[in-house]
Amino acid sequence: MVRRILGLRAGRVAVGILSAIALLAILGPVLAPQDPLATRPETLAGPSWSHWLGTDYLGRDVFSRLLEGSRTSVLGSVQVALIALVVGAVPGILSVYLGRAFEWLTLRVADTLIALPFLVFAVAVTALLGNGLPQAMLVVGVLVSPLFFRVSRAATLAVARSQYVEAALISGGSVGWLVRRHVWGKVLPPIAVALAQTIGTGFIVVSSLTFLGIGVQPPEPTWGGLLASDLGYLAYQPWAPAVPAALIMATVWGSNLLADAIRDVSGEAGRTLVNSRRARARRLDSTEPLTAGGTTR
Amino acid sequence: MTGTPPDKPDTVVPADAVVLVDAAVPVDAAVPGDSAVLAVRDVRIRDEINDREIVHGVSFELRPGQVIGIVGESGSGKTLTCRAVLGILPEHLAVSAGSIHIAGRDIGGLTEREWTDLRASTISAVFQDPASYLNPSLKVGSQITEVLRVKLGLGRRAARHRAIELLAAVRLRDPELVYDQYVFELSGGMLQRVLIAAAIAADPQVLIADEATTALDVTVQAEILDLLADLRERIGLALVVVSHDLAVVAQLCDEVLVMRQGEVVEHGPTEDVLYHPRHAYTRLLITEHEQYGLERYLDAPAPAAPGPAESPDPPQSRGRAAQAEQPESAEQPKSPERRQSTDRKVLDGVR
Amino acid sequence: MSDDNDSRPVLEVADLEVHYGVRRRRRRALHGVCLTVSPGETVGVIGETGSGKSTLARAVLGLVRPSGGRISVVGEEITGYSQQQWRALRRRGVVQYVFQDPLRSLDPDLTVEESLIEPLLIQGVPRAEASARGRAYLARVRLADDLLGKLPGELSGGQRQRVAVARALVAEPKLIILDEPVSALDSANRVGVLEILKELRDAGMALIFISHDLGSVAGVADRIAVLYQGEIVEVGPARTIINAPGHPYTRLLVGSAPTLRTASASRAEREALRARLQVQLHVRAEADLAPAR
Repeated sequence: MVRRILGLRAGRVAVGILSAIALLAILGPVLAPQDPLATRPETLAGPSWSHWLGTDYLGRDVFSRLLEGSRTSVLGSVQVALIALVVGAVPGILSVYLGRAFEWLTLRVADTLIALPFLVFAVAVTALLGNGLPQAMLVVGVLVSPLFFRVSRAATLAVARSQYVEAALISGGSVGWLVRRHVWGKVLPPIAVALAQTIGTGFIVVSSLTFLGIGVQPPEPTWGGLLASDLGYLAYQPWAPAVPAALIMATVWGSNLLADAIRDVSGEAGRTLVNSRRARARRLDSTEPLTAGGTTR
Repeated sequence: MTGTPPDKPDTVVPADAVVLVDAAVPVDAAVPGDSAVLAVRDVRIRDEINDREIVHGVSFELRPGQVIGIVGESGSGKTLTCRAVLGILPEHLAVSAGSIHIAGRDIGGLTEREWTDLRASTISAVFQDPASYLNPSLKVGSQITEVLRVKLGLGRRAARHRAIELLAAVRLRDPELVYDQYVFELSGGMLQRVLIAAAIAADPQVLIADEATTALDVTVQAEILDLLADLRERIGLALVVVSHDLAVVAQLCDEVLVMRQGEVVEHGPTEDVLYHPRHAYTRLLITEHEQYGLERYLDAPAPAAPGPAESPDPPQSRGRAAQAEQPESAEQPKSPERRQSTDRKVLDGVR
Repeated sequence: MSDDNDSRPVLEVADLEVHYGVRRRRRRALHGVCLTVSPGETVGVIGETGSGKSTLARAVLGLVRPSGGRISVVGEEITGYSQQQWRALRRRGVVQYVFQDPLRSLDPDLTVEESLIEPLLIQGVPRAEASARGRAYLARVRLADDLLGKLPGELSGGQRQRVAVARALVAEPKLIILDEPVSALDSANRVGVLEILKELRDAGMALIFISHDLGSVAGVADRIAVLYQGEIVEVGPARTIINAPGHPYTRLLVGSAPTLRTASASRAEREALRARLQVQLHVRAEADLAPAR
């Protein structure tokens, strides 16, 4: 799977972008040249040797804040995606197998979650559990989970009715066996697509929540928070929001590219796509005629 | 067992490469005869992706009321040839040489618009899986009236009337009821009839039946084969029957093309090709067919004891097993003169 | 009808009733079906789409719950089995099933080897031993070992169906039910698969061969049962059924099959038979089975 993703150009670009972001998240706080929280008298300064990306309205070094904030931002969105995955995908798969009652219950819960007003729910939960990034992300994860529920349930339904699952059933396979052996592999690609997409969404959500003051408390930097504060001073530094915005966009784009690449290489259709591309490439490489076979269909 | 099966497979084996084409078949005629509704001359089909030739020269001519069969294993190019004739080759394939004339018109330079005019009104087709060729969310009747209204310019009322006539003509038991039904309400055999009704709605001269009976039950297959024979008899419809079942071809066709790996290895009248095959590959196909063909298990000469007395007739055709040269049953007229004289308008008079 | 009384039948089906749907939608799929398969015997089941052929197979496999009658497999009555009992029975691999379309019955993402040895892995056989046994059965269906690493999509239709047959064999069943095993194959592959079935039959395996292709059933089966509208209308030795069919439906079936040397029975005759079947259907007014529509 990994090799096939890397075989596509989009896959390579996506992996490149995402590993760069991951590196930022791991090493960012260490690399930050200055204290991201220290204020200086020179506020809203332009880029210079000491402040590569200038300073913000309190005179803090923007470059250091960006690096410092990357860990929180990335961790936040990954947390959203993982919570959504666990809360959504597992019941989604099991809803096909664990009988009518479970199916009915999970479907109604999913509908309820979709219907819940996002902000009200988020504010209520932070009031209950305290205002912090993990709590906020838990809320977001749960609210995004119906996506995973639906995707995994639809994929499982398609597989569960297939003859090879029936064949395994006739051979005495238990539900666990059927899921591990036949269902999981087919359901994984669409879930991976949803996951990559959710990581992208997670970034935007973390950013917008910070924007609203939910999740991350003001002095601590995040990409979304930077974007928010920069937007307040648009008149003084019109270019400032561009950098955090570009980082957020790059990550979301990388995630979506990865999602597309996963979709393209997974399953029967994916294999054919990759094979035909390889065949075409080989044909371009060599001018020798291929052996003539009779296959037409 | 009596009957004259093909020569023993281990007798003289001609070189594989030799293409046996019956001299009587005028494949090299410079100008297709006026009577031919479909003339395919040395058609070659090329795969443009890997630059490989897939079909290496197919030629045949089809006169009104004539039935030609194409046999061969899967991948032999039977279906591609048909698709080329219909102008619906997959995107990466193209006719690289040869010519196809439909009703005297060379289809090589047809525009999309001219193609649209030609399809359905001159040449039409039915395929293996009827359900996938019909829209599940529309009543089947409206899918036939669509053809009638677009092709023949009939009004709503007239089109409905004619569609019901057509449904009756393909021998559906309750045409008015079927008209208002949906795909999921009909069985495979009924859908294939609906599809045939739609295909002949605009009075085409040629109908291509590509494995049209393969997915059907034997009893239903027999009904569809009867229907096709009937159509050819009544309206002089010319048929191209593609099948991997030699028995189907034997029952319906006047002429047979045997294809292997894109090449026509043998071509001639059905009696010659299927009962006195000359090419080793044809013989192989026949041997394979006969190994589990029903004929092998029928106690040939003794007609089956008709069960209880109500049986109308013992299956008389069984008794004719010995006369292998005339495999067709009596009610299928074989003489071209008779067929050509049948009036195409006869169908209009049906009920 | 059973000609082999000294050994316990592999399968005994008595007065089997199967209904689909509930209340007003309830439709009868099988009615009063009785069928016995002795060890080493091959029984052909013929009939057209919707006649209940597949339902019969699914009832024997426990995929459909009968509404009446009894089914016994090797003397064990399985009619009232619970899910657990069914799983235990299936794990023993007594009855195996081969689907019509191997492209759909083999997992497209698993290699041939994985699919082949799956029943053994489910039984808990260690992988190495399972692989060795899988190889042995692959040879038995005349496939080379180098196919083991391939995916079903890379195989031809005939090869795939042979893999499916080998998969049914690895569990060393007493009975294999084959549902239209050659219908999706062209004649060369059809002959290949049928030859393998004949070898199995000669080796003493009991087979139920469901098909609408009379020629292949006649070539493999010892006895033939004719299913029509959910009922077995005729059972008898294969040759008798083909050559002297008693029931009008069987006559229609035999008369409809085109053959190379004899054209199929005349059209008038077929139409007369169809008309008679229609009359019969109307006579059975109490049957809730509408004519196929």
